[in-house]
Amino acid sequence: MKKHIFYIFLGVFLLFMTSCMEEQNFDQIDDLSITPTIESSIIYVESPERLINLASGISFYTAAFNFDAFSQAYFAERVLDGSITYELENTTSKEMEILFEFLDEGGNSLDSEQFFLEPESTAVLQREVFYGGTGRSLDIIANTSSLSVSVRNLGNSTSISSIPSPKIVLRSSAKFRVRLK
Amino acid sequence: MVKIFFAILFFGNLLNAQNKQLLYDFIEIPQALIVNPGMETGFQWHAGIPMLSGLSFHTGTSGVSVNDLFANDGLDFTQKFTERVLDGLSHRDEISTNFQIEVFSGGFRIANKPDQYYSFGMYVESDFINYWPKDLAILGFEGNADNLNREFDLGHLKTRGELLSVFHIGINKKIDRNLTIGARAKLYSSIFNLNSTRNKGYFVTTEGQNNIYSNTLDADMELRSSGIQEILDDDSLDLSRTLTKRALFGGNLGLGLDIGFTYSLTDQTVFTGSILDIGFVYHNKDIKNYTLNGRATVEGIEIILPQALANPNADFWQDLVDEIEEIVPFDNNENGFVTFRPTKLNASIRYNFGEPSLSTEDCNCGPDTYLNDSRIKYVNSIGGQIFVINRPRGPQAALTAFYQRRFGKSLALKTTYTIDKFSFSNIGVGINSQIGPVNFYIMADNLLAYNNIADTHYASFQLGLNIISWEKK
Repeated sequence: MKKHIFYIFLGVFLLFMTSCMEEQNFDQIDDLSITPTIESSIIYVESPERLINLASGISFYTAAFNFDAFSQAYFAERVLDGSITYELENTTSKEMEILFEFLDEGGNSLDSEQFFLEPESTAVLQREVFYGGTGRSLDIIANTSSLSVSVRNLGNSTSISSIPSPKIVLRSSAKFRVRLK
Repeated sequence: MVKIFFAILFFGNLLNAQNKQLLYDFIEIPQALIVNPGMETGFQWHAGIPMLSGLSFHTGTSGVSVNDLFANDGLDFTQKFTERVLDGLSHRDEISTNFQIEVFSGGFRIANKPDQYYSFGMYVESDFINYWPKDLAILGFEGNADNLNREFDLGHLKTRGELLSVFHIGINKKIDRNLTIGARAKLYSSIFNLNSTRNKGYFVTTEGQNNIYSNTLDADMELRSSGIQEILDDDSLDLSRTLTKRALFGGNLGLGLDIGFTYSLTDQTVFTGSILDIGFVYHNKDIKNYTLNGRATVEGIEIILPQALANPNADFWQDLVDEIEEIVPFDNNENGFVTFRPTKLNASIRYNFGEPSLSTEDCNCGPDTYLNDSRIKYVNSIGGQIFVINRPRGPQAALTAFYQRRFGKSLALKTTYTIDKFSFSNIGVGINSQIGPVNFYIMADNLLAYNNIADTHYASFQLGLNIISWEKK
């Protein structure tokens, strides 16, 4: 019986001793690249034509808005590339000009995008501006602390569009790839 | 940090199943009473060697193995991760691990009640399970862009882990020649617990109503913990002393019950069953819970004139952030909570055959002796077992076929073939030896995987050392 026990335990011992494992390389984890692309709306501006007609002068509206999303460290230090998309509609009876600016913490303009909108246009003006890679500098995005929107009325202050509920609309969204690892 | 995370993910949590199919109904081993308190027992008394009487480690990963990711095969790691983990795993895939270390154990039979066997002991147990949070992983890996209208399910986050000590006392009673029953009362002392198993909600990006995109978060999430905050916050904490104190009734306490039986259908056919860890722990010490609850839809800053002109100095960005934090607050609290133990069910049917190794004719043990009523023992047993455990995503089952062979009084061997969520080729072997009063057993699972351990989805290992006095024959 002792012989039985010896052989069985010898078998177990040999099983463990002869077990093996293919070569593993756990340092590969350092090569893991996690670069999600995140997308979100940025700012939406809307004004009816009746308000535009009430304004005196060519400059209808100018305002700067605090916008810390881009300058947050977790984003600014990780952003790789991406784009800003603008969509504009003008169903008023006037030609309009919109200037969209990226401002740094001191209020200095880092970048701008200018749009001229034909009156009573039923089409949506769409523009995508790329940053990083072969596009504009990513420093613009990383250093942006606020956004400025200026709207100018290049037409008159009396006419009313024949399109129902005439207004001017600016939509914008950001789509950026960031490196989490 | 990431390496540690992956090490925990793929090694630390080795165990899932807690299935002890090799130990179950191995009536020569005292620790088999832990998995069926109603097992047939022939011990006069037993004493476990402290810290060595019962060690068991189990680990399981479904879907992907260590080798799948870390084999030194020259392939791009990110591509492997994407194909085999992100695309390959579902939210039902899991990593789980369990270990038990018996601190002390013993058992005895009282002279005037020879049909009853009492057992007791204490063991430390760790149990961890983490389901692959598929949608959250995809959101983190790919982002929400190009996933328009896809609802990322926050309910995919399901995890539970605990370390606790268990004090137990059990009674095993032979009712008659055919039936043995048993029960075990347990007192749990939780050392720490972490669970997040009841999450609901989603995150989705859709076409916006006003702006281009709309992001919606609908969350009902909670992470509950006990026994962790003190360890994290108190740098001067004497960790070993704190953990020892918690293990010795100083933790969050709970109660549990095991029940089991063995019933002989015929002279050679035996049916057994047990339900383990019908119990709970009430956590009211060192609690820290985190919640994220609410629903918010965001389309960026909205400047709608003329309303926006009413407050020319408004900080629209900060207002937006504040509004989201108000609607979907990330809070914490110290509310007590109850956790239920992962209840397990075992059942088996065994057919004994071959040369009888012990019969009542051999007994010659007097008119009052328990063994007078014993059944004949055979050298061979064959049968099937089922194991079911209650998990956060519902019950998980394992089916086992086994063969057991006894070589005299000194040696018994059991081999099993098990299919479960982790493997369809799990062959295990358990050996029990009795040399004089010294009992030693060793068991290992999934032996076919030993040609490349890194490629295994399941592994378990058990051993123990006891001193046993058998009933006199």
